[in-house]
Amino acid sequence: MSEEEIRQEESIIQKAKSNPAAFASLYEKYFDRIYYYLYRQTDDEELAGDLCSQTFVNVLNNIKKYELRGVPFSAWLYKIASNEVRKHYRKSKGKKVFSIEEVRIKELIEESDEVWDEDQINKLIDFMKDLPEDMLQVLVLRFYEERDFKEIAYILDITESGAKMRTYRALDKLRKKFKIKIKYDG
Amino acid sequence: MGRNEIRLRRHRMTARGIERFRNYNSVLKRHEDNKRIKKVIRVFGFFVVILIVVMIIIFLSRWEERSQAKDPVNTSEVIEK
Repeated sequence: MSEEEIRQEESIIQKAKSNPAAFASLYEKYFDRIYYYLYRQTDDEELAGDLCSQTFVNVLNNIKKYELRGVPFSAWLYKIASNEVRKHYRKSKGKKVFSIEEVRIKELIEESDEVWDEDQINKLIDFMKDLPEDMLQVLVLRFYEERDFKEIAYILDITESGAKMRTYRALDKLRKKFKIKIKYDG
Repeated sequence: MGRNEIRLRRHRMTARGIERFRNYNSVLKRHEDNKRIKKVIRVFGFFVVILIVVMIIIFLSRWEERSQAKDPVNTSEVIEK
């Protein structure tokens, strides 16, 4: 994101603090990203739509409290969306769902000693089922949403080193089990 | 049985299905409704506080009156002392 874009966003946010209608352009800009983020964690279009609306209502309700904290504005949106997902699963007491795209898995795997067929993908899914939820959340934010560690730390309310550690631990397990190299390792 | 449920999608998500959820006017309306409810709660809370303070004042003044009635001070006795 360029300096100019950050300045523009900042000026829209300042305007939105006194006039919520001014927030419309940021809503349009970030709606898709937040919706997909919620959809990946629910696998339910209607539910993702409801959580997305609630996320933006919460954003407007709290925009006066928003301050720049060294992370992009979008990280604040992800944080509020994460809280909405957490609230939903706490209420429903259901098992957490992660919906992942097959194409994206293949994109992420840079090198592999074995050919990635259906069977390998099923094994990977079984492996992911047993990963702790916090590790999966970090992986989703890192590889699907392409957030950096500072943003992940802010979104999940953990330290930056904690976010790095969770990612590397999960990747390490993946590497050992599947003998693969994953993009964005660094 | 794992800790999480992982579902695999064969196709990439497209922007087509998502359009029906995009509605800033409804978000704005819900925000205004929330603001109104918050205001009503704040005003109600303010009146409750005022009511409690008034009740405390009434209670204290009655208690004072009652304690004075129980133990009347005789002025002539005070002067003699």
